Amino acid sequence: MDVNTLLSLDRPILLDGAMGTMLQQKGLPAGAPPESAALEHPQWLLDIHRAYREAGSDILYADTFGASEKKLARWGLTPELVIPAAVDLARQAAAGKALVALDLGPIGQLLEPAGTLSPLDAYEIFARQVRAGAAAGADLAVIETMTDLAEMRMALLAVKENSSLPVLCTMTFEENGRTFTGCSAAAMALTLTGMGADAIGLNCSLGPAQLAPILEEMARYTNLPLIAKPNAGLPDPLTGVYDVTPEEFAGQMSLLADRGIRFLGGCCGTSPATIAALRQAVSGKVSRRKVVEVPAAVCSATQVVPLDRVRVIGERINPTGKKKFKEALLREDMDYLLGQALEQTAAGADILDVNVGLPGIDEKEMMVRAVKALQGVTGAPLQIDSTKPEVLEAALRVYAGKAIVNSVSGEERSLSTVLPLVKKYGAAVVGLTLDEKGIPKTAAERFDIARRILDRAVSLGIPRQNVYIDCLTLTVSAEQDSAVETLEAVRRVRQELGLQTVLGVSNISFGLPARPLVNQAFLTMAMAAGLTLPILNPNLDAMMAAVRSFHLLTGKDRDAREFVAAYGGDTSPAPAASPSSPSSVTLEYAVEHGLKTEAAAAARTLLETEEPMTVVNTRLIPALDVAGSRFESGKIFLPQLIQSAGAAQAAFEVVKEKISTSSGSVSKGTVVLATVKNDIHDIGKNIVKVLLENYGYTVVDLGRDVPKEQVADAVERHHAPLVGLSALMTTTLGSMAETIALLRQRELPCKVMVGGAVLTADYAASIGADFYARDAKEGVDIARQVIG
Amino acid sequence: MEITLDFETFPVGEALRYLGCAQQDEDSRRLVTEALGPLLSSIHPRYLWRLLPLERISDKLSAGGLPLEGSDIRRHLEGCDRALLFCATLGHEADQLLRRTQVEDLSKAVVLDSCCTAAIEEVCDRAEEQMKARLPGAFFTTRYSPGYGDLPLTIQEAFLSLLEAPKRLGLCASDSSILTPRKSVTAIIGVSEHPLTPAGQRRCESCSARENCPYRKKEEYCGR
Repeated sequence: MDVNTLLSLDRPILLDGAMGTMLQQKGLPAGAPPESAALEHPQWLLDIHRAYREAGSDILYADTFGASEKKLARWGLTPELVIPAAVDLARQAAAGKALVALDLGPIGQLLEPAGTLSPLDAYEIFARQVRAGAAAGADLAVIETMTDLAEMRMALLAVKENSSLPVLCTMTFEENGRTFTGCSAAAMALTLTGMGADAIGLNCSLGPAQLAPILEEMARYTNLPLIAKPNAGLPDPLTGVYDVTPEEFAGQMSLLADRGIRFLGGCCGTSPATIAALRQAVSGKVSRRKVVEVPAAVCSATQVVPLDRVRVIGERINPTGKKKFKEALLREDMDYLLGQALEQTAAGADILDVNVGLPGIDEKEMMVRAVKALQGVTGAPLQIDSTKPEVLEAALRVYAGKAIVNSVSGEERSLSTVLPLVKKYGAAVVGLTLDEKGIPKTAAERFDIARRILDRAVSLGIPRQNVYIDCLTLTVSAEQDSAVETLEAVRRVRQELGLQTVLGVSNISFGLPARPLVNQAFLTMAMAAGLTLPILNPNLDAMMAAVRSFHLLTGKDRDAREFVAAYGGDTSPAPAASPSSPSSVTLEYAVEHGLKTEAAAAARTLLETEEPMTVVNTRLIPALDVAGSRFESGKIFLPQLIQSAGAAQAAFEVVKEKISTSSGSVSKGTVVLATVKNDIHDIGKNIVKVLLENYGYTVVDLGRDVPKEQVADAVERHHAPLVGLSALMTTTLGSMAETIALLRQRELPCKVMVGGAVLTADYAASIGADFYARDAKEGVDIARQVIG
Repeated sequence: MEITLDFETFPVGEALRYLGCAQQDEDSRRLVTEALGPLLSSIHPRYLWRLLPLERISDKLSAGGLPLEGSDIRRHLEGCDRALLFCATLGHEADQLLRRTQVEDLSKAVVLDSCCTAAIEEVCDRAEEQMKARLPGAFFTTRYSPGYGDLPLTIQEAFLSLLEAPKRLGLCASDSSILTPRKSVTAIIGVSEHPLTPAGQRRCESCSARENCPYRKKEEYCGR
């Protein structure tokens, strides 16, 4: 018997119930690992598994839920010791009448950026369990009790890449329909269905009654068999007793069976009596679920974007033609990139294109960092934009959702390398209508390529709704007749193939005056022709205005709600932006009061008559010094100091712009900053960063949880004379010491300053730091001393 | 169990204190109230607890099988036969909001961070009231957390796993014993049938931050 045979039976399939509480009843002491039972109390496990089998379980979960190397290490055990023994005991108890599942539970640590466990390390941890379980002869794998879609994906990849076992995936939801990390049932269903799970559902959480609506949502987004293995309600903290009886449980579960939920079992607070009651309640039932038409959509773990109207893909995370972006990438400045993301979503972008290709940087490494960091601040789904398959795959591996791959073309080399990745990771893909012969002139030829890409994708098992076609915008100043061909191709792809269509809109107007006018008109024409996924700059109101107007005029924006919300009482939504309102305040006043716009305007005025460096040295820095001394004397407080710094920064940007046009440099020198490995506290470090930047230093901010090698490499690459390290925990001071040791060992000519709440000057000296900075202001003083 | 914090009863003064701002500083007060809107509307504070027997074998103390090492916690729990072990968190939403705000406006983020600290302390206070209400007639010690005194921070993982916090609260500890989500607390409250000798309310002597504590330098007290 195997899982497919079970599924062909057309009846509800029964899972088992709780393991941990059953072991405690047998005598397992509180606090002891349930996984040790396989080695120390095999008879207990045999008894429990047999009781479940006799109660009617078709699938027995081996006692391997917590058998990850991280958890077992605490007890001096390994997966290779525990898993074969546990699987074997379940098999003995099953006696050929039930299947045995390798059970994979959460590792017990949060993944980056919430925690410090990297997705790839999580993968390796799961892979080790999977190899042990498959070798021991498990019939299937179950991944359960997950709250983080990123961790779930890593476990699923580990199963699929290290075994041929069928795999059931369940997550734990709260009553609000989300997991503790914010993952929704819809996002889970879209993501895991695409990645090849064999069944999905939920376990643990609450009682069956509260979970029905969550299963319903899941059911709208997948045709996979569904699983419900809930708790018997909630435990009383005083007694530990769960509040739903076996009979109540079975009654509620039987309603789920009627709705076609295929796999039924129990989690915490359930027992063989629960499963027996469940068997009785569902006996004779036929389990069927209507095939649903899954809505076209992309998603992050927390946000599903249905493609039921025009959705805007923000184009700004891309260094092409953007000097500041390029500089930020070279400086490894993730915050700049994240700022671009938040600005675009605030302006109305639904999806964000991510392109970090730039000569001189490791695109793959930067892409992975960018994708991880973006997921920490935005729920907008991502479009991974690269010409290199290895970059696409690295990004898809760490993206916890259903991404869009940008792009594949009609070229054989592209089709054969990119589409398999799209299939494997369950992504959607943008197909460019060009091939070995280049971009065809006519709509008909582009349409043909679109169809070829679609056919190829479908033949690989990619659902056609996941193929989006880019009919390619050509510059109208160079090829005036091409615009109508593009629009015609869009119309045909939309109408005849029914696919989503993508266009990079602003290409149309290169080399022309009044580009926003041309872009807006082209966008409107393209949407009318059937463009559904414009790639554009959402920060330009003309573009968003076109999209909002289109939704208004096509009835997608019912009762003009969004339009009115966006434009309120304005009669004209596009106020001519005045480049700078004349400043009525001095730079000093603006900095002191934390007024960003005014500070920038004042700097602009000063630059008309003064040299840039004069403005910095005689106006800006003295103003900051004033703020600093007011802070030190307790006249202002940290928030105001940072506001002053923010205003100074705005002024500084203006100065930098001025200097970059005259190709000089304003930087006094480079400082590398990092929160050390294993530490994730970074607000203090970020305050230091802003102040240093204000005083004219270039800051290479490596972020938090930074390996020592990365710090040393950055110091070397950027020739930094000063490094600032931050640690906030007694448990991470060791990382700080190790980082300093490595810098010394590699004989890098840099001074090291350290800071953080648990540090003292004495300790700083004892680990070889050159300076201890009590606060950000002292950090600046140290930089002045070291660099000047 | 969930706890809802509202605007009206939020300890704004505490947030100001964590910020190092003077109470009468109107500007800072406004910043705090501005930060509270998005915070309170996005977080779902929760807590989890168990009442466990304390075991003392020679001079080794443990609660429900969890070893509690160090002389400070032994002294703290003197006269108690049981302990409330609990953990509370503002949840992942607070972390995400903090990450996002740091990118958008650092000064707002600094204020928000202090608001989060005040919020989780308030959650602990409310949780403590609710737990105590389930044990009428009993006497309690103050809260004591891993990392205080010589109770090692490294018990966080075992502490959380005893409460099943990873699956029931989404609360985990990293390899460095950092609680994630960040704005979270674990704590122990001793329980006795008999009145307890009043333990010192201020525990600066046993606090790991005592060397650098800005409050202590100003002869103030952080409130824990």
